[in-house]
Amino acid sequence: MSAPLMLEVDAVSKSFAIPSVRRDTVREHVLAAFKPRRFDQLQVLDGISFAVARGEAVGIMGRNGCGKSTLLKILSGVYLPDRGTVQAHGSITPVLELGVGWNTELDAIDNVMLIGSVMGMSIAEIRHSLDDILAFAELERFAKLKLKHYSSGMSERLGYAIAFKAVRDVLILDEIFAVGDAGFKQRCEARYLELRAHGHTAVIVSHDPRIIATYCDRALLLDAGRVAFEGPARDVAAHYVSTLTHAGSAS
Amino acid sequence: MTLPLASSAPIASTASNARGRSYAGLVWTLVRTDFKTRYHGTAGGFAWALLKPMGMFVVLMGVFSFLFASKPTYKLDLIVGLFLWDFFAEGTKSGLMSLNTKSYLLAKTRVPSWILVVTSIANAVITLVVFVVVIGLFLLATGHAPTMGTLLVFGLYCAALVAMVVGFALGSSVLFLRYRDLNQVWDLMLQAGFFLAPIIYPLGILPERFHFYLYLWPPTPVIEFSRMVLVAGAMPTLRGHTYLAIDAAVCLIVGIIVFTRLSPRAAEYV
Repeated sequence: MSAPLMLEVDAVSKSFAIPSVRRDTVREHVLAAFKPRRFDQLQVLDGISFAVARGEAVGIMGRNGCGKSTLLKILSGVYLPDRGTVQAHGSITPVLELGVGWNTELDAIDNVMLIGSVMGMSIAEIRHSLDDILAFAELERFAKLKLKHYSSGMSERLGYAIAFKAVRDVLILDEIFAVGDAGFKQRCEARYLELRAHGHTAVIVSHDPRIIATYCDRALLLDAGRVAFEGPARDVAAHYVSTLTHAGSAS
Repeated sequence: MTLPLASSAPIASTASNARGRSYAGLVWTLVRTDFKTRYHGTAGGFAWALLKPMGMFVVLMGVFSFLFASKPTYKLDLIVGLFLWDFFAEGTKSGLMSLNTKSYLLAKTRVPSWILVVTSIANAVITLVVFVVVIGLFLLATGHAPTMGTLLVFGLYCAALVAMVVGFALGSSVLFLRYRDLNQVWDLMLQAGFFLAPIIYPLGILPERFHFYLYLWPPTPVIEFSRMVLVAGAMPTLRGHTYLAIDAAVCLIVGIIVFTRLSPRAAEYV
């Protein structure tokens, strides 16, 4: 690979200990002090390795429960892998499942300030881009409305609008282009292409073969926590569709 | 619609330098967010929140100054003790809940979690500053005008108290994600602790052999030493000061150790 690497994922594994009984209060622990629990290890990721070059767009596909979301959380620095390493040679801006996380007691402007600064923008940058962000999400009229009164679509649009502004190097997107009406989707796609043209790197999770084939250079197909197939985005998308059809006809 | 790109920032910027630049802004917005959420973003809301400890002071003074009428400085002792306690109680309570309150950031974004915890105490610190001014006015009005020296020493005691609260907040915030009723346990301990610390009574009414145990409760030495310096015009011993310094350091270090061990996986418990 000629371009310098932006993300290096090396043998990443992650498992979660699932207790036979859930205890998450002091009271439950004290009352059941002499009743041991059984823990089952759920291996979600099992030795995942890949690299993303600067300016490249990599798609991640796979069926529900194959580890996509966990992998994105590890790439984003939300989760820590059990084994293996993730090296990022740039800053990462994630939009994980269902948006970016809001303080629902505050209005859109305050939330943009908060999430923008969490995503690494300076206060001046956020103030400067505030109008653009609200315009992109088509929420100018609702700028002073508390987020608890927003519909889920409205807050998701706002999330993407901030992330598109805040991104410096790598954009991580979970089910992008699945949000908003046709007009918003179109603007997202245009913005995404614009960012790519400026050399930004992207990691995209999607179930939609069209999105992976259109917007990614390369893709990985995850199955049971491993990379089952890797290659040009179109091939992986086609492979994903054929595995689904096989599974469908087999059952 | 064409929008100017944010990416005029060089793509080559490394993660660490992008982060270093934004920490100040992040801290500022987090403090601002807390202030807005808690006080509805108004000075009136903030004043309203001050009414609780002020009201408490008036009621306790009304009742107990008769009981301790023989102690002429009782009112001053009470206000110093009560306001320092209020900071301890409010700071530890919001610190304990901080990661849970900010779970929406913890689960969805790459954010240094210690900043979420430490900034959650900012509101209590702002209130403490207001209290210190009120205490100062009371001292002036009653002819106990503090000197620069006593103010400096009192400032150090406040710093020790802040260190204790930060330590507790760091440790308890990650533990709360695993033990979801820790806030109830802590509320109970605070209720008992209010009486364990010599706030409404002078420490002197208890036999001296118990004093050692009362001093084990972190707010006690801070309250007692502050009263000594501000009200009685006396200076605690070097031994006393060493004890306070060790006490604050232990609280802070234990908190940091617990936090460093548990925080890397905190997002999994959100």
